[in-house]
Amino acid sequence: MEYAITFMVIITLNFMLPRMMPGDPFLHLSGEGGEEVWAFTAEQRQYFIEYYGLDRPLPEQYARYLTGLIQGDMGVSYYYKDQVSSIILRRLPWTLMIVAGATLLSLLLGTVLGSFSAFHRESWKDKSLYLLMIVFSEIPAFLLGIVLLIIFAAGMGLFPLSGAMRHFANYTGWEHVKNVLHHAALPVITLSLARVGGIYLLVRNTFTTVMGKDYIRTARAKGLTEKRIRYYHALRNALLPLVTRVALQMGAMVGGAVLVENVFAYPGLGLLMRQAVFVRDYPLLQGIFLVLAFGVLGANLLADLLYRVLDPRTRGQETA
Amino acid sequence: MYQSQVMNPRLLLRVPGELYKKGIAFWKSLSIFGKFGLTVILAMIILAVGAPFFTWLPHNVSSGPALVPPGGDHLMGTDEMGVDLWSQICYGARVSLLVGLGTALLAGLGGGIIGIWAGYRGGWIERVIMRLIDIMIVLPDLPIMVILAAFFGSSLRNIIIVLALFSWSHPARIIRAQVLSLKEQGYIKMAKSYGAGDLYIIFKHFLPELFPILAVSMIRLSGMAIVTEAALSFLGLGDPTSKSWGLIINHALNFSGIYFTPFWKWWLMYPWAFLTLLITSLALFGRDLERIADPRVVKRN
Repeated sequence: MEYAITFMVIITLNFMLPRMMPGDPFLHLSGEGGEEVWAFTAEQRQYFIEYYGLDRPLPEQYARYLTGLIQGDMGVSYYYKDQVSSIILRRLPWTLMIVAGATLLSLLLGTVLGSFSAFHRESWKDKSLYLLMIVFSEIPAFLLGIVLLIIFAAGMGLFPLSGAMRHFANYTGWEHVKNVLHHAALPVITLSLARVGGIYLLVRNTFTTVMGKDYIRTARAKGLTEKRIRYYHALRNALLPLVTRVALQMGAMVGGAVLVENVFAYPGLGLLMRQAVFVRDYPLLQGIFLVLAFGVLGANLLADLLYRVLDPRTRGQETA
Repeated sequence: MYQSQVMNPRLLLRVPGELYKKGIAFWKSLSIFGKFGLTVILAMIILAVGAPFFTWLPHNVSSGPALVPPGGDHLMGTDEMGVDLWSQICYGARVSLLVGLGTALLAGLGGGIIGIWAGYRGGWIERVIMRLIDIMIVLPDLPIMVILAAFFGSSLRNIIIVLALFSWSHPARIIRAQVLSLKEQGYIKMAKSYGAGDLYIIFKHFLPELFPILAVSMIRLSGMAIVTEAALSFLGLGDPTSKSWGLIINHALNFSGIYFTPFWKWWLMYPWAFLTLLITSLALFGRDLERIADPRVVKRN
């Protein structure tokens, strides 16, 4: 229910905003780039405004927009002169890949480091790791990305400077996978580093709490090995809050991905979004925003459901 | 008697003396990171306010050859137009701090009022506000802000408004929670039974209790606002007339092939370093304040 309302708010916002934007797509089309200036005559303008349905009353535009959306039609891009949905579908896999990769990597890294810190609580190892993580968690991803780009791509030449794969090269099979991973490595590492701090802190805290619980003492009394206690009894319970945390962080993750893509000129939705803003491409902007917002909301919905399955305590009781 | 107190010069000195003592006590309660953060923040504020005193070259017009490395008259070198980078950074601090302060004040006060209202009044208003906050929390802010910045037009004032529009939910939520628990306190109920009005209770009893939490939240907000302004500028959605650190970075990155030249060593690195330093300091200071203002955190550890 909550999610249904949120979906509607996003769709409505998405519909209203571009229509209130100052500026005019025709104005922009006719004056872009300096060289290819072509002016629209009044009749041409009128024709296009009618063609794209911009002269209809707002409720009618809204109804059209909704029905189109349900059929998967997000309109036609003013600038690329192509279906928005197909443009987005072409770019979406790249964004999905780095977001998913960064989520997994930051989860893995955060869990390992967080549990390490929890087991060495108050030692110098824990303290220095804690400090490092706090500082890292506060540096925004795109600033981190610039440094990594300078050091590893420009300085050492270990990674490519931009793009998602090498152009004009026909790799097949394994070579192709390697090439794509090589290009994705820096963006994914950047995003993970920027996100790992929050996960680290959460794991460190919950682990410490869990280790003080009665069932851990019971396990100890049974004479189980420390390893089994840590990784079988404690880990499962300590990881539970991570499900919610990852979903809540998804918004920040997607925002970070938009910026990081622009740092590395990675051809995902973020890069597309910036280009769309510059050419005032309403439908494309709307489409990208919609896809990103739905992705984040979907992740949250999924986490809610998953949490209910994973945590037996919430089973059976109805939470609205 | 009252008059003699005012006339006594020693008593007049007591007020700044008390403030000084309180300041020292506050400084001592900070951890080493909080001290570091506060020092950097104060230094940045001094830099921003006194920008004309610290710079000797114009920040907006060319004052030498383009892309000069740091040294000599150009403390941090020049950019592609020959504009002195040190001056740009000093004046850019004004933009960043203005955005941070403006957003924090706007969102902090707005969110605080909404939070007090929701918590104190309750009823359907509270339910609507809470639902709204739930929605705001899951929305991905950056894509929305990109769209809004494009839609409002990217003047500095608009950027601050957009930022405030999307960050009031955090202070509102914590203030509401605090008001809810305060409302049940005995002394509030007693004040009410003595006939205290709503405004009296809010101003006399709530605000002093809420202020520390709100202050922490506002520090967080200002850090977030500075980051987001830099991010928007970096995407090319900043105010072109007021050159912030993010915009310098944007210009540097738009210089094609900057990574193949040595220019990034000053043109990119200095604004980057200042931005990172300010953001990290705000975060460290905020974290420390949080620890001091919220006794629950201490108990948990």
